[in-house]
Amino acid sequence: MRFGVGLWCLQNTATVPRHHVTAYRELREDAQLAERLGFDSAWLSEHHFFYDGYCPALLPAAATMLAVTQRLRVATGMLLLPLQDPVRVGAGARALADRSGGRFDLGVGLGYRDVEFDGKGVPRRQRAARLAAGLEALESTVSDVPLWIGSATPTGVARAGSRGHGVLLSGANPLPLVRELAAAHRHGWDAAGRPGGRRPPIAALRNVWVTDDAAEREAVLDWVRASYVLYAGLGWSVAAQGETSAMDFRRDVGRALADAVGTTIIGPAPAVVDGLREVAEAGVDDVVFRLVIEGAPRTALHDVMRRLSEEVMPQLAGLDAA
Amino acid sequence: MRLGLALTAGDEGPGAALAEAHGLFGVLVDGPAAGAEAVAAAGAAAATEAVRIAVRLRLGHEHPVTLAEEIAVLDNAANGRIVVVADVGRLDAAEAAEDVTLLQRCWAARPVRHEGIRWRVPAGIDGHDAPEVVEVTPKPAQVAVPVWLAGAAAAAASERLGLPVLADRPEDCDRDRLVQPGLVDLTGALEADRGAVGAWRDAGATHLFVRLPGGIDIAESLVAVSRFLAPEVGMPSFPRVIAESATPAAWPGRGAGA
Repeated sequence: MRFGVGLWCLQNTATVPRHHVTAYRELREDAQLAERLGFDSAWLSEHHFFYDGYCPALLPAAATMLAVTQRLRVATGMLLLPLQDPVRVGAGARALADRSGGRFDLGVGLGYRDVEFDGKGVPRRQRAARLAAGLEALESTVSDVPLWIGSATPTGVARAGSRGHGVLLSGANPLPLVRELAAAHRHGWDAAGRPGGRRPPIAALRNVWVTDDAAEREAVLDWVRASYVLYAGLGWSVAAQGETSAMDFRRDVGRALADAVGTTIIGPAPAVVDGLREVAEAGVDDVVFRLVIEGAPRTALHDVMRRLSEEVMPQLAGLDAA
Repeated sequence: MRLGLALTAGDEGPGAALAEAHGLFGVLVDGPAAGAEAVAAAGAAAATEAVRIAVRLRLGHEHPVTLAEEIAVLDNAANGRIVVVADVGRLDAAEAAEDVTLLQRCWAARPVRHEGIRWRVPAGIDGHDAPEVVEVTPKPAQVAVPVWLAGAAAAAASERLGLPVLADRPEDCDRDRLVQPGLVDLTGALEADRGAVGAWRDAGATHLFVRLPGGIDIAESLVAVSRFLAPEVGMPSFPRVIAESATPAAWPGRGAGA
């Protein structure tokens, strides 16, 4: 099992205000800490036209992290490919790979907010076709940069597997859905004749926290809740993306928030280790700890990164996905 | 006149750090392909804390809203040190003016609504409940990002926009502008370079990027730039005795002479 951490969104929010210059300085410091603590990767997330300045341009953000680290991989989770010219994205990815010794991973997704498509003059109905065409362009221009696809439907992840790309699964996905999607990804790769010869990885964001303290546990679960309120505000809805019925932050916010909080693996280190074994058994190769969440102060973030690094990750180092 | 360094593509971080160590005002990220500009400039920014970072941004193809977002992120990552050299490529003056104006509107602290010959923002393509305006975020760290123009139609676009043009030749300098940037190739031969840089100063340039010849040791070349060229164009009649006298003795450390 490999260990990532994320998602850095670079916001200045109504409830946790800060200057954006501070946000980008903290991003560099956090990347350096993640590297020192032995995490394999750090992941960024993209949105547009939101009041909090949610990062709209992931490649320069990745560049600032890669410039101050030597070993850490930096990944986009996800760059919304239909909104950009893929040739230009490829040139940016090429520059990042060349300047970092090949430490950049490019994760791409569809995007779902109407205003983001309209703001860029891209018809929303073209998004799937644009993603497919964009991927094809990237496969040829940056064949040495690992590609990851964000998807929450069996069809979508199977397609990613059939092309030999990794997938990043949402943290709000309940574990049974993670298992189903991981199986679909493997099947897609098998059915396509195992392109690339080596099974592409399955990454899953997971809400995780190590704590022995009841009050901290309560606070962390509230941070997880608050972090999904943001997505309720953004209008995120898996139901709107495909056939999955769960996690509809538009139809029933209260239930969706409770379900998302319910995915959290939280407790003393042994309980977290057990929870992560279940994640590996569901077929996950790369767990991406969802630690950068609304309300969690940086001292708490750094503290839990240290505890994961010292008490949890060594226990799971030799564990492979089922 | 102040001197800056045009960086070599792929070497932006170390090059920028050397330019800063030699007291130059800024660096020019000039080499990378379209799409790699902000990535390369972020490397220069992460390696420095003071130099201004001018980045040649290629207009004409990608949506200006996307370009504006990249620069806004970059400016925050660089603590507000970015200057955009908008290379208008094959755009004519009217097209270039539209793209640059749209970039600037995206950076301004107002919602954007734009209808021009090339772009419509918001596009209004998904019909009924499409928004009337969008707020492009985050805003740059600077109140306004400085924009200089480059490319074939830069001079004509400058007349519409009132922005400086990054000049390729001293005779293109406009001494009525408070900021008149330029870009010159140095040879590595001190007397020739003195003549070249002096001609730009005499023509009214204010911020001149020097591009060093290929294959040369940058650290060594910058000693000549900071010791001779920068002081000589930094004031009228620089007393050369200062640069030509011996470098002050290095501190031997305590106990070395015992």
